[in-house]
Amino acid sequence: MTPGPSPAPRVVGVALILIGIGATVTAFGISLDQYGRWGARYFPLVGSVALILLGVIEVTRAPGGAVVDRRHLPAIAALLLLAILYIICISAFGYLIATALAAPAALWIFGVRSPVGLAAAMVLSPALYHLVFFEFLGVFPPLGRYFDLLDLIGGY
Amino acid sequence: MDIFPALIGVLSDPLLMGWVLLAAIVGMIVGAIPGLTASAAIAMLLPLTFYMEPLPALAFLYVIGKSGRYGGSIAAILFNTPGTAASAATQLDGYPLARQGKASKAMKVATISSVIGDFTGEILLIAGVAWIAAIALKLGPPELFAVNFAAFIVIGSVIGKSVTRGLASAALGILVAMIGLDPISSTERFTFGSFDLTNGIGLVPLMIGIFVLGEVFAQIEERGKPTELVQGGHDAARDGLTWAEYKPCLPHVARSSFIGAFIGMLPGLGSAIAAFVAYGEGKRRARNLDEWGHGALEGVAAPEAANNAVSGPSMAPLLTLGIPGSTIGAILIGVFLIHGIQIGPTMFLTSRDLVYALFACGLIGIVMYGVIGYYGAAFVGRFITRIPTRVLYPVIFLTSFVAAYTSRGNLFDVYVMVAAGFAGWAMRKLDFNPAAFVISFVLAGGAEETFRQSLLLSDNGLMIFVTRPVALIFLLIGCLALALRVRSLNRQSRAAAVTS
Repeated sequence: MTPGPSPAPRVVGVALILIGIGATVTAFGISLDQYGRWGARYFPLVGSVALILLGVIEVTRAPGGAVVDRRHLPAIAALLLLAILYIICISAFGYLIATALAAPAALWIFGVRSPVGLAAAMVLSPALYHLVFFEFLGVFPPLGRYFDLLDLIGGY
Repeated sequence: MDIFPALIGVLSDPLLMGWVLLAAIVGMIVGAIPGLTASAAIAMLLPLTFYMEPLPALAFLYVIGKSGRYGGSIAAILFNTPGTAASAATQLDGYPLARQGKASKAMKVATISSVIGDFTGEILLIAGVAWIAAIALKLGPPELFAVNFAAFIVIGSVIGKSVTRGLASAALGILVAMIGLDPISSTERFTFGSFDLTNGIGLVPLMIGIFVLGEVFAQIEERGKPTELVQGGHDAARDGLTWAEYKPCLPHVARSSFIGAFIGMLPGLGSAIAAFVAYGEGKRRARNLDEWGHGALEGVAAPEAANNAVSGPSMAPLLTLGIPGSTIGAILIGVFLIHGIQIGPTMFLTSRDLVYALFACGLIGIVMYGVIGYYGAAFVGRFITRIPTRVLYPVIFLTSFVAAYTSRGNLFDVYVMVAAGFAGWAMRKLDFNPAAFVISFVLAGGAEETFRQSLLLSDNGLMIFVTRPVALIFLLIGCLALALRVRSLNRQSRAAAVTS
């Protein structure tokens, strides 16, 4: 288990320093307690300063590093975008409609191209998740702000 | 002796036995699916257990952790793809055995060794945990902070390829844990004016993001790669395991069980390190050295025993000090908290029956996955090849959303889960350490509390940590672990440079 070089030491180091500086500045904005003590600031400051120091070590390491495989980045970005749109869609149109749209999209990203499979996922996924989590377990579903299918089919 | 009444209690409860059986099966299947881990399964199923009684909930997840560790060996032997990081060591000899048509024999060795290792670890836990808890009760805030400090350093520096990135993962975990209201003064920290952030970042969405959604992101890179099962005709001579064949494995299993149990007690190290240390130690002492790496049964037995021996002892720091010894322990903290059970040394005063009943469920779970694995591992392997990953991971993707929402009925948690999922994938990609991040996130609250209590107790500020001998010892252990790790990595780098 000989360790190989880690990817992008400079970029990672700079990112750590920037996060650390941002966190340090924010930590100094944390109010002191009623006796003027730093109690609530200690840990945020320790974590922030540690990040800056570790970032500096990363930057000063030997240049170079392992190459990051970027071939799959478009698919990763597509899945991340789908994840964010899915939540926005849940808050706008409720769980059922959002899941009916997200399920075939997720399958498509993973390589499923069968129209029947995609259509089945569109119908079955929202129905199954709704039954298990919101009917069987009794969790209150996230209702849509503008429209929710549950308003039409009843139940809530 | 509390374990015997607990065992009788569990055995006489059919519903609880059903949960343990289900956990043994689920864990084995999940562990055997390449890419999925027991941690992912537990994180995803965690919200479901909020609706269960505390003991079935804890037992269900605890046994999934055990059988999941074992399940990784199925993928390592049959698919040449380790189901878990720990089973990569099993793969070294397991897959060559499968190629020789001895997959079933290798699976039986893995099963028996896992069961022996797991039993050893569990019995050591049962024998020693109350003793450790009694000592832990005598520790004050400075000592407890020092233990936490050592845990941060060990978790951050010992696992993974890069010490700086491991420690940075731990520091990021601390910072994320600081988001919300300060528990002592109710001052807002890192909330940036957001009302949602005043409640802090939830443990459950964070876990689901890091371990489940992060894995879904990672699996996109594996799209299209088929899972191939090693085929071989049924042959009694090749499939059966005789006493003469297993006897040489026993010394390796015994040694590896203790190696695994010891490593399991140290926070954050986990099964993968135990398995590789045991494999290396077994190979060093092997009489049939030329067979190791080419299909030695001992090469399967040693890592499997160590891998599973980690399971029980990794609960010791969790139950006695509130320090999770593994990612599974960190997730179990969520169950304890949801059910209002205070973890730490006082747990043995307030919830003693529950703790021993959990241990009893663990012992029964070992027997169950042992029996199922001995007779059914090949079937589980065939079953997994029939699950198309292009359907499985979209299903996991959708489930992670509803599971994150279920934890508190809040869409903000789902955003947290997505952010954590992407961060978890990026951390793996850049050699950061998601386990160190999550364990530090869990530890930070307790560490901060004991640190500030210590300063309130102290007349000399930070000197309280130096003047208390036990605290000083733990601080030094942390520093020593870091120094040794840096030295070891430098040596390896120099050796690699010389070789190249």
